[in-house]
Amino acid sequence: MSFEAKRCGVQFTPPSIVLIYEHKETKHVRKRIIPVRNFSKYSDYSMAAERLKNHPRHRDYLEGVSQSQLEKLHIILRNHMQGFSLEHSMASFRLDPDEDLNKLDDDELARKKGQMDELFEKNRKRKDDPDFVYDLEMDFTKTAQENCSWDDESDDGF
Amino acid sequence: MACDVGSIPELDQKKYDSDEQVKIICLGDSAVGKSKLMERFLMDEYRPQQLSTYALTLYKHTATVGNKTVAIDFWDTAGQERFQSMHPSYYHKAHACIMVFDVQRKITYKNLASWYKELREYRPEIPCCVVANKIDADLKVTQRSFSFGKKQGLPFYFVSAADGTNVVKMFREMIKRALDYKQNPSDFMDEVMQELENFDLEKKENNSDEDGLKAQSPELV
Ligand SMILES: Nc1nc2c(ncn2[C@@H]2O[C@H](COP(=O)(O)OP(=O)(O)OP(=O)(O)O)[C@@H](O)[C@H]2O)c(=O)[nH]1
Ligand SMILES: [Mg+2]
Repeated sequence: MSFEAKRCGVQFTPPSIVLIYEHKETKHVRKRIIPVRNFSKYSDYSMAAERLKNHPRHRDYLEGVSQSQLEKLHIILRNHMQGFSLEHSMASFRLDPDEDLNKLDDDELARKKGQMDELFEKNRKRKDDPDFVYDLEMDFTKTAQENCSWDDESDDGF
Repeated sequence: MACDVGSIPELDQKKYDSDEQVKIICLGDSAVGKSKLMERFLMDEYRPQQLSTYALTLYKHTATVGNKTVAIDFWDTAGQERFQSMHPSYYHKAHACIMVFDVQRKITYKNLASWYKELREYRPEIPCCVVANKIDADLKVTQRSFSFGKKQGLPFYFVSAADGTNVVKMFREMIKRALDYKQNPSDFMDEVMQELENFDLEKKENNSDEDGLKAQSPELV
């Protein structure tokens, strides 16, 4: 038996994860509503996501849904329980290059870092990669330098 | 706790006066990659000591420079505002500073100015460098020039903690500069502090046999 996850989302009442999936053999597209139990505004979303991912009745359906996707859905549910709007939740997932991350609380910061991790992991060279070089050096001083738009005239003190 | 210089009870900072003990600090906004850079440099050697109350992580490293073995403590703290009050002890006795920004977020570059200003309040002379991290995300940024620090002659590095570009080079050069500075310190801050402390003690001792009122407000006499 195999299923291909197409889309997923949440339903606020009762708190549930909604999954649209295709049954690979029959090509039928179905909707599955998975109630999220024992989850409150104080719960740990990553533990809850992990529990759901390994749930014997749902795990086959959720195979194609990543842990971080499930975490996101739980965060949306939890934010809703805490009285935050959906827009607020969605905004917290976006990486805004102008946002001052120094002002975030631990949770929000961890979420932003989680998003940065996608690219980090993709570009990461590990010790066991065949082309790993510990002391990798590249000289950029010879490349043509244009002026950086990040330095505006008013900053001339630096 | 915030203002007491060198007062992290779990840590004895006196050791940094000895020749073989070096302290290098790292500054920069949240999520610019300070911790990832340390981890990339130290690889397996990395055994951090965490003091979560201060959002402080110490990474210990041993290096051989010339024929000398030195113990280097890298001090890493969070860029988050709520931790910024621990800084006096963070700067105390530091021998070099690595300032990091994220090439994908302009605001982290702009904030270098305030990190640098704070650094210079405590450590006017220690060697410092500017590090542009995450160049793997967009190699085009390396064609740009970033003028922050140019005037002060701070070395500048394009690096990536993800693929490792220039990370080891940057750390090795900073260790070297920290050692040079240690041999020829030009910051008198620590010495002055120490004298002030001694001065306070003497004053207290002198006052101790006078009457209480006087001792409490000597400047009014
Ligand atoms: N693409 C890319 N991402 C990076 C690089 N270095 C760090 N990151 C990402 O940036 C995130 C934050 O890195 P950290 O090392 O935690 O940042 P930090 O400066 O220590 O942050 P605080 O301790 O909160 O002040 C990581 O989770 C990575 O996803 C890099 O060289 N390239
Ligand atoms: Mg960190």
